Amino acid sequence: MIRFDNVTKSYKGQAPALDDISLEIQKGEFVFLVGSSGSGKTTFLKLLLREAVPDSGSIWVAGRDIGELSHWRVPYLRRNLGCVFQDFRLLPNKTVTENVAFALEVIGRPRNVIVTQVAQVLELVGLGQKGDRMPHELSGGEQQRVAVARAFVNRPLVILADEPTGNLDPATSQGIMKLLDRINRTGTTVVMATHDVGIVDTMRRRVVELDRGKLVRDQARGVYGYASDMTMSTRGVPAVAMAGNGEPGLERDPSSGRVAAVRARRGQR
Amino acid sequence: MAVSFDYVAKETATNLWRNRMMALAAVLTVAVSLSLVGTALLLRQAVNRQIGQWNNNVSLQIFMDASASGGQIANVRSTIAQTPQITHCSYLDHQHSYEQAKRLLASSPTAIEALTPATTPTVFRCQLRNPSEASTVSATFNSGVPGVYQATSPSQSIRVMQQVTNVLQIILLVIAIVLLVSSLVLILNAIRMAIFARRREVGVMKLVGATNWFIRVPFMLEGLVQGLLGAIVAALIVLLSNFGVSYLIRHYKVSVLGSAVLPTHDIVMTELLVVLIGLVVGVAGSSVAVRRFLDV
Repeated sequence: MIRFDNVTKSYKGQAPALDDISLEIQKGEFVFLVGSSGSGKTTFLKLLLREAVPDSGSIWVAGRDIGELSHWRVPYLRRNLGCVFQDFRLLPNKTVTENVAFALEVIGRPRNVIVTQVAQVLELVGLGQKGDRMPHELSGGEQQRVAVARAFVNRPLVILADEPTGNLDPATSQGIMKLLDRINRTGTTVVMATHDVGIVDTMRRRVVELDRGKLVRDQARGVYGYASDMTMSTRGVPAVAMAGNGEPGLERDPSSGRVAAVRARRGQR
Repeated sequence: MAVSFDYVAKETATNLWRNRMMALAAVLTVAVSLSLVGTALLLRQAVNRQIGQWNNNVSLQIFMDASASGGQIANVRSTIAQTPQITHCSYLDHQHSYEQAKRLLASSPTAIEALTPATTPTVFRCQLRNPSEASTVSATFNSGVPGVYQATSPSQSIRVMQQVTNVLQIILLVIAIVLLVSSLVLILNAIRMAIFARRREVGVMKLVGATNWFIRVPFMLEGLVQGLLGAIVAALIVLLSNFGVSYLIRHYKVSVLGSAVLPTHDIVMTELLVVLIGLVVGVAGSSVAVRRFLDV
């Protein structure tokens, strides 16, 4: 479904944001993209959307080299990729239904298709009763559900989620993850960039870790962090020292004495 | 590309309404500048027609006596041929000259009745190498050449008037161009603000894969509508002022200005040109805005 072949991307005069990345994501996979801020997760997603073009290497989506795509075909690529963001990006002056319908309207879907698909997807995300609400009348979790509905309403091949739980409390995050998991079970590939240790560890899905643009880990059923990656993922600052700072941290396992990744310490502050 | 008409019309209308103050400013500037353009164009046509009629588009006319003999005419013809200042001459015989007189005197039927083809003087209509030599050349023909009734050249006052209207036209056009440029900038700015006001929508549209043209068209159309509205207002102003002027000329029977009343064809063409310029300004302004501020 998605393939990166030796992809390198750097922004003007800086160290590469992505450095010689090669990986393949199969149809129907659920992949976590982890790494500290500035590790290249967002660049990874931007390249997939062709909001940016790699300096070298090629990216394949659904059997197509998207670097070869002419400018006017890019929108058609994006119709196959549903996007969810940390900040929801809903239109504040439209109702829930209108927000979701907007995604279909602007790609020229006929009215009757829009009506049925929007109703279906709102039911799927559990907002069937709240179609007439405005976004500001909804909780953060509900807003994110609307965003997921909008991303999924056109039945894309892939859902790209850039820290979708970044603004949500753990319980609400769980709900969003369940939703993404359900969507994944329909055969939709999900690629999710996240900092949320707890989520990664409980879901036990494929984990791809980036560090300063390099692919440092690709694990089939991974957790957020490993002792061996400790120095790497915290840029030389001993990760143990950071544990308890409120950051998604690491903790020494009292029984083995090894440093291991633990759940995020949200709520303990 | 599936851009539904409903969607585009709705978007354009809401955009215009949301941005109505900016849109109004743009529309009014277009209207004012295009009224000036239209007025300048009509003035030019009216003045040219009128002066052309007064002059017969020639710089020298030599009227023969109605009873001039063929020999006298031939004599004048050869004198003309020997006058180096004259570049070109045509001769109107009785019949043509009579018809010409009828046209000129259309507003005073009694004067026409007094004329018959036989009593209408024949005339040589000449063009001069240099119109300022008209008085010296006409003087040579007025100094008793047999058969010549009178040689006339457009009077100094007509030439002064022509120059004044030329200057007036240039001033009007310069003001109009300055205003056109400012209306283009105003439209550009209005569209830029519309794009800014809708940046969230535009972001979402790009994200879910709306085509570039689908995103652009409502903004382009908004500029086009502003240009068009301004142009229509301008066309009405021009039309009304033209009606006003021609009404005054007819009402007070100012027959010397009879030709300043423009035929419908000329007015329609000018109005079309005004509307066309309005459309171009609207589309140009919004294209620049879309290109610069809407990176899709």
